[in-house]
Amino acid sequence: MAEPAPHLLVVDDDREIRDLLARFLEKHGFRVTAARDGRELRRLWPGSRFALAVLDLMLPGEDGLSLLRFIREEGRTPVVMLTAMGEETDRIVGLELGADDYVAKPFNPRELLARIRAVLRRVEAAAGQAEPRAATFRFAGWTLETARRRLVSPAGVEVPLTGGEYELLAVLAERAGRVLTREMLMDLLHGRAAGPFDRAIDVAVSRVRRKLDDDGKNPTLIKTVRGGGYVLAAEVERS
Amino acid sequence: MTLWPRSIAGRTFLVLLVGLFAVQVIALTIHALDRVEMQRAQQAREAIGRAAALWRAVLMADPGRRDAIARGFDLAEGMVASVDPRPLAPDHGLLAEPMGDRLAQGLARIGGPPHMRPREVLVGGEPRRLVTVSLRLPDGPWLNITARPPTPRPWSSPGFLAALALMTAAVAGLSFWAVRRTTRPIRDLAAAAERLGRDVNAPRLPETGPAEVAQAAAAFNTMADRISRFVADRTTMLAAIGHDLRTPITRLRLRAEFVEDEATRAKILADLDEMERMVAGTLAFARDEAAAEPMGRVDLAALLRTIADEANDVAGEEVVSVVAPDHLVVEARPVALKRALANLVGNAVAYAGGCVVRLSGPDRGLVSITVEDEGPGIPEAESERVFQPFHRLEPSRSRETGGTGLGLPIARTILRGHGGDLAIRNRSPKGLVATATLPA
Repeated sequence: MAEPAPHLLVVDDDREIRDLLARFLEKHGFRVTAARDGRELRRLWPGSRFALAVLDLMLPGEDGLSLLRFIREEGRTPVVMLTAMGEETDRIVGLELGADDYVAKPFNPRELLARIRAVLRRVEAAAGQAEPRAATFRFAGWTLETARRRLVSPAGVEVPLTGGEYELLAVLAERAGRVLTREMLMDLLHGRAAGPFDRAIDVAVSRVRRKLDDDGKNPTLIKTVRGGGYVLAAEVERS
Repeated sequence: MTLWPRSIAGRTFLVLLVGLFAVQVIALTIHALDRVEMQRAQQAREAIGRAAALWRAVLMADPGRRDAIARGFDLAEGMVASVDPRPLAPDHGLLAEPMGDRLAQGLARIGGPPHMRPREVLVGGEPRRLVTVSLRLPDGPWLNITARPPTPRPWSSPGFLAALALMTAAVAGLSFWAVRRTTRPIRDLAAAAERLGRDVNAPRLPETGPAEVAQAAAAFNTMADRISRFVADRTTMLAAIGHDLRTPITRLRLRAEFVEDEATRAKILADLDEMERMVAGTLAFARDEAAAEPMGRVDLAALLRTIADEANDVAGEEVVSVVAPDHLVVEARPVALKRALANLVGNAVAYAGGCVVRLSGPDRGLVSITVEDEGPGIPEAESERVFQPFHRLEPSRSRETGGTGLGLPIARTILRGHGGDLAIRNRSPKGLVATATLPA
């Protein structure tokens, strides 16, 4: 741990949750500043450069979505939203406004931790060039909407995906035309290295191929590259 | 009584039709009898007139030609005349009271000025059927006139049947229309009650029409409003409880992360997971989130495979298998439908350790999804009760498997919201099958 600990901003109106979350994240190697509402956030923002903000959407005064807009105007600081269970609309609007991920309250702290780490990793990997915000990918007639996490077929039919399948397809679509090795996919998707006999990626790829009506023996969309990698070979249009 | 219709409309229609038909038949009969009377009177007048003319002609004629004149005279239908040396009237039996018959009376009075009157008049026959009048000429012989009035045929009028048919048809048409109109509010009320059963916010009935109908509609609407307010209150209350529990659960989760003892922490987190599931279930049930999600075209086969893959990923082995066509597209709310079907698969995995999911159809407009397991099944009496919110079979076992008692009610609410349904029953020799149907 030679690198300095990433500095996180936690915005939540409940004092206990704020303090406990700060302690929890500090325990796991982050530096944490806490803010109770929009006013404190706006006061703290100019002086510091946060690696990531954890933003509760339900705040007294200025609401979370408006703060999200403020953060996006200021720059590319990644945001993980805390949304209310069942408030689908807030979540979708938040992702469309450029939040990077979300967890629903009451959240599991470990899941939040995993999401924070994944977002930081993604931002690091992208190194400022890719836009990890919500997008719609179109390829070979298929549409992948990241804000709603859904895949729509060329016939306009929604094809449901598991969480893992969605993540895999999103990663492949974001990096269309680039060969991703199993190790890279493992790292991007699960944040860990693939073991020599790890079949998780291959299983996920075959499932996604089936959903895309891509023939596993002679795939045209997700191609297998000799030497152990996959590539989304279709022309991808991003909007 | 198989002919007695079951509906009010049918019964009223039948009563009206039979009643009005009877009234018509009676009215037409009275009319016909009147006509008979008129026909008789007219026939009598005519017969009397002709007979009088004949009398005068015979009286004036040369005695040798009298009989020829009488036989050739243009008389009314059914009349015969002749001049004979003797009267024929007594052959038919003399009428004791000739004045009782209009024809007999008229014929008996033939004459005119005194010098033209017959010397003697004999009237015989049977009233209405046959009358014979014998008039004695001044010089001795008799003019015999026999009249057989034709039988009146009141029913033979060509218009009669057509009139009856036309009137019956008109009556039938009108009463059918009137009855349909009068009973329509009852049908509307039944339809509204049916709609209310599915959706408490279904549109209210228009409070228009006749007083009784408007009153019934108003009473129904008041009842619907009360039910909908009650449901809304309950929903708000459940949602508020669920909402307010989120903050303490979040705090406890964070606190648990600071518990040093590994075993204790795991237990606390497991309890909190169960609480969260209950809160999530309550919120989902109370809000009926499904209704807010837009309908779209969804590949049901892919949806079932996704649910199975997720269950298999969690279990770490293949516990759920899917038998389905490659694609089967339905109109649905994807998130809600996935939740409903995942609940069924989740139950099967929890209680039976695995299941087979089959997708078939469309058959008569419905696709059906069965989730078959080989677990312990449920007591027959429970097969409807399990759809009641918070109902649990054997509380001890349910707690072990972490059920909230909301999985099946939520699944059924969602499926019914799609126009489908959900039922469960035992399989033989053992196990349970949940059958979900959806409109194709």
